[in-house]
Amino acid sequence: MLSLSGLWSLPCNPTASAQPMEQFIQQCVNALQWGSFYALIALGYTLVYGVLRLINFAHGDIFMVGAYISFFVSTFFLSSSGPALSRDLALALTIPCTVVLTSGVGVTLERIAYRPLRRKGVHRLYVVITALMCGLVLENGNLALLGASRKALPDLLDKHIYMISGIAVTNLKLIVICTALLVFFALHFIVTRSRIGMAMRAVAWDEFALPLMGIPLDRVIVFTFMLGSGIAGLGGMLFAMSYPVLDPYMGAMTGWKAFIAAVVGGIGDIRGAFVGGFLLAFVEIMVAAFLPSTFRDLFAFSILLLILWKRPTGIFGMPMSTKI
Amino acid sequence: MDTTVRDLSQKQGSALISVENLHAGYGKIEALHGISFHVEQGEIVTLIGSNGAGKSSTLKALMRLAPPESPTVTSGEIRCKGQSLLNVEPHNVVDRFKMTLVPEGRHIFGNLTVMENLHLAAWTRKNEDTRKSLDHIFGLFPRLAERARQRSDTLSGGEQQMLAVGRALMTNCSVILLDEPSMGLAPVLMYDMFRTLKRLNDSGLTIVVVEQNARLALEVADRGYVLDTGEIVAEGSGEELMRRPEIMEAYLGG
Ligand SMILES: Nc1ncnc2c1ncn2[C@@H]1O[C@H](COP(=O)(O)OP(=O)(O)OP(=O)(O)O)[C@@H](O)[C@H]1O
Ligand SMILES: [Mg+2]
Repeated sequence: MLSLSGLWSLPCNPTASAQPMEQFIQQCVNALQWGSFYALIALGYTLVYGVLRLINFAHGDIFMVGAYISFFVSTFFLSSSGPALSRDLALALTIPCTVVLTSGVGVTLERIAYRPLRRKGVHRLYVVITALMCGLVLENGNLALLGASRKALPDLLDKHIYMISGIAVTNLKLIVICTALLVFFALHFIVTRSRIGMAMRAVAWDEFALPLMGIPLDRVIVFTFMLGSGIAGLGGMLFAMSYPVLDPYMGAMTGWKAFIAAVVGGIGDIRGAFVGGFLLAFVEIMVAAFLPSTFRDLFAFSILLLILWKRPTGIFGMPMSTKI
Repeated sequence: MDTTVRDLSQKQGSALISVENLHAGYGKIEALHGISFHVEQGEIVTLIGSNGAGKSSTLKALMRLAPPESPTVTSGEIRCKGQSLLNVEPHNVVDRFKMTLVPEGRHIFGNLTVMENLHLAAWTRKNEDTRKSLDHIFGLFPRLAERARQRSDTLSGGEQQMLAVGRALMTNCSVILLDEPSMGLAPVLMYDMFRTLKRLNDSGLTIVVVEQNARLALEVADRGYVLDTGEIVAEGSGEELMRRPEIMEAYLGG
């Protein structure tokens, strides 16, 4: 499609025929960036669901926490009273710090909220309600601690705009899209090839038999939450870099949408989370581009409903058996 | 019955596994009402009894598996190599005490290949010697070698049972508890399975086996215990138990 646009824009009358195409491709690039955020969040939903059959409704708020952590960490690194690092160095250090700290938050949540319930063997419904409440606690805890004033992430990156045959691509967009791709492939590798990934898949199938292999179930579950939350933290940071205004509720709506994306893709399947995220972003952005913006969510969700109506278990979903 | 229980408790000093007056249950319902038995190093011991007698509950309690699938111990003691297992987590029973269970209904990881199932079972081991174990297992169950790359839920019932046993061997445990290993096997395969177990036992493996086909189990076993609604009602060597008419009638179908 890109090469096609090159052909279109080279001939002598670019204004007449090239513009709609360019506009379309421009929107595609935006959709890829937006979809990267959805995909990064949806991967966490799908991982935890795939392994534990638990919908971790606090996950969207983990994304928000990730954005805030990146704000605090980078502000600290840049502050003149602190280490006063150069921006490149601050960026390079903020990424791992955000990922590690956010996964710490996710693991803490598992430890203090979900694990005790799991130990008692209660029905999953209660764990899901607990997750919802944890999300609300994170949102409102943030509001109470930091107040309603919105924070802005410091500039960590010089913005460059590349013009590729009339299409504007910023370096940040490229970074976001590449990160999402990299994360996907890394995760896919971990789940399909590594031993801990094998154990994650095994838990998804039969939690009962895992300890009989000498494998500590809790460790596998903690690892799952670490992965999911770390990825959400990375997503939160990239989101904050792209739209540098943070507020405590930023994870709620985005989180819900990412959850829907995961379901449409086939929850429990990491390819599904990825494809679902991009699909949702694509639909949203195309609707917003060509229809009044108030139609966006109505149309986007109607289309997703249609997909689920045709395939109730999502695009990659198989009935129950092959999760993750 | 009381006398047999007391006889047992005298031998418990040296036993590999000893269970003393174990009470265990699911929630408020008690399933095991104070059972005592022991297993010596290198033995094949069988637990027999009718449906719901508490055989599976006993094995799951030994493995320290968590509720709700497994019973909670309310009183009594489980020892392995002289140490109490009561506060040991199930993965550590495998890792430290080298005891594992082939559970009722196999519980293989159907979404993994045969090979992946076996590799996963080697979790607590170093890489070097798993290769040798694999060869050993494929020697015992050649069908598994043929299907190594196949998703394990596509195996036949009998092949899945072989995988479940193979997987337990892969953990390199020295004690294996088997819950109805012949379930769903054709008679020929059933005898094969028990012959294989006997061979493994000859090479040093300690085996505790629960079996519906009590006659077969008693033939192979060194000793047996008869469970009835959560209590041990008889014990003895395989031949002894088979000679007792009341046991034959009640549990072995005459
Ligand atoms: N997960 C469970 N929750 C509640 N009760 C249970 C559970 N598992 C077993 N029981 C009860 O405990 C008792 C013993 O069951 P157990 O499974 O140990 O019997 P069993 O001897 O293995 O029988 P079978 O030959 O049918 O396998 C039964 O009365 C059963 O109803
Ligand atoms: Mg049973």
